[in-house]
Amino acid sequence: EAAFLVRSEGAGGLAQWVLVELQGEVEPRQSAGLAGSLLGDLHYTREGVPVLIVGHHILYGKVVQLEKPFAVLVKRGAGETGPAGPHTHYTVTALIKTKLLFKTRPKPIITNVPKKV
Amino acid sequence: GAMRSRAEVDATLQTAKLNPAELLPAVHCLSFGPQAGTGDCCLLQLEPGLCAELEAGRSLVIRGEKDEQAVLCSKDKTYDMKIADTSNMLLFIPGCKTPEELNGDQASCDIIHSQIAGFSNNYWELRRCRPKLKKLRKLLMEDPYEGPDSRKDQTSTFSKYTTEDLLSLIQASEEEILHQLQIIDACKIEGYWRILEFDYEMKLLNHVTQLIDSESWSLSKVPLRTCLEELGSLEPREMIEHILLSYGRKYIDDAGEVYFEMHEDKICRAIAQMLLQNAVKFNLSEFQEVWQQSVPEGMTARLDQLKGLALVDKTSRPETIFLLKVEDLPEDNQERFNSLFSIREKWTEVDITPYIQDLCAEKQTVGALLTKYARSSTQNGVKVYNSRRPIS
Repeated sequence: EAAFLVRSEGAGGLAQWVLVELQGEVEPRQSAGLAGSLLGDLHYTREGVPVLIVGHHILYGKVVQLEKPFAVLVKRGAGETGPAGPHTHYTVTALIKTKLLFKTRPKPIITNVPKKV
Repeated sequence: GAMRSRAEVDATLQTAKLNPAELLPAVHCLSFGPQAGTGDCCLLQLEPGLCAELEAGRSLVIRGEKDEQAVLCSKDKTYDMKIADTSNMLLFIPGCKTPEELNGDQASCDIIHSQIAGFSNNYWELRRCRPKLKKLRKLLMEDPYEGPDSRKDQTSTFSKYTTEDLLSLIQASEEEILHQLQIIDACKIEGYWRILEFDYEMKLLNHVTQLIDSESWSLSKVPLRTCLEELGSLEPREMIEHILLSYGRKYIDDAGEVYFEMHEDKICRAIAQMLLQNAVKFNLSEFQEVWQQSVPEGMTARLDQLKGLALVDKTSRPETIFLLKVEDLPEDNQERFNSLFSIREKWTEVDITPYIQDLCAEKQTVGALLTKYARSSTQNGVKVYNSRRPIS
């Protein structure tokens, strides 16, 4: 079908999600894949600065109000057939108006300083 | 895996040498949700107005056949879609609170276990564009309506299109499509949108202009009722009313009677098309004479009525005129200019404007288009435009 519908999920109004922007790529630590694995702890300082602890790194970021919000689209119904109209459609699951931007280089957490032998 | 505990979070803070006193008490423990890696989620960057439309519960539609670039349509606007890559990783997280939200929320659930719904390093970017409406005319021209007597119509409905059909085939918003249908004088016959075949359209128009003449009506006060009474035996009533609506402005007088104020320019233009389509080109002065004789009594035929329909060649001796319809030219900007420059090497702004006016984006001027797609020079003291590149 040539047309894909993009519509809101329910009558209850759209959820507001948050975008977290990180430098680099996300890679699973184990070969089992990402699902269920931890990314890290997200804190905020009392001044509202986001602080993300990922593995052995600390990242400092800032809260940015997006000039152009995002819609999060989830593809639904692929492969369904039917007599009336397009069945593949994208559902708008949420809107994103805020992002946490982590642009600074991660600071490594030094746990042990090996003693010289 | 098991969910992190307060003790584990605190231990991490200690290892990281962060002072909990300087932090808000709440912490988000981020993990990847079960669907996070599947790629079923993607991001669409919203242009102004679209966010409000979605929040109001309205839908957007992505349209495009396999050979077309996808566009996104709201109720009344059309946007080109393009993938924008970022060198960063974008994670989308439901239920993640901002500092303001946390400060306002005194009920302190210290640990917020947030699942990352998905991630991406690209998103869809939108740019407002002209609706792609040329296909609309093309589809309706597959089977123009030739009148009730035409045997053609009794056969298949293959090349006939309902509003729903058009919505799924045309890369434009519903409002833009309906507006264009009105501009091209399409009408609905038995649920299908049709364009009248030109000869049939002229036949209908001729019935009306003859009647205006024989009744000595003012061109600005043509009564619908009498037209239907007098012409109803010749043509379907819907067609009579349609031709009046196409070539006139409908109004209702104080007594509640429906009248039409006829569009002189549009009628003269149609008659010119009827004359011009019979040959490649015409001697200009001969054409003007025949044309003036052909238009209804009281109307004046003027060359400026033919903008975007015909072109005068002032360089030939004698001067000539030929049919050149803007709707027959390519829709894409560069292709349109290529086409125009292959018809004529150098154009004045006055001559070319009717043939590029429709290319202007929302706040774009003809001048801006010319600057981008043409090169100017002066010829005999007159500014002319020619192609930026050699035309093959």
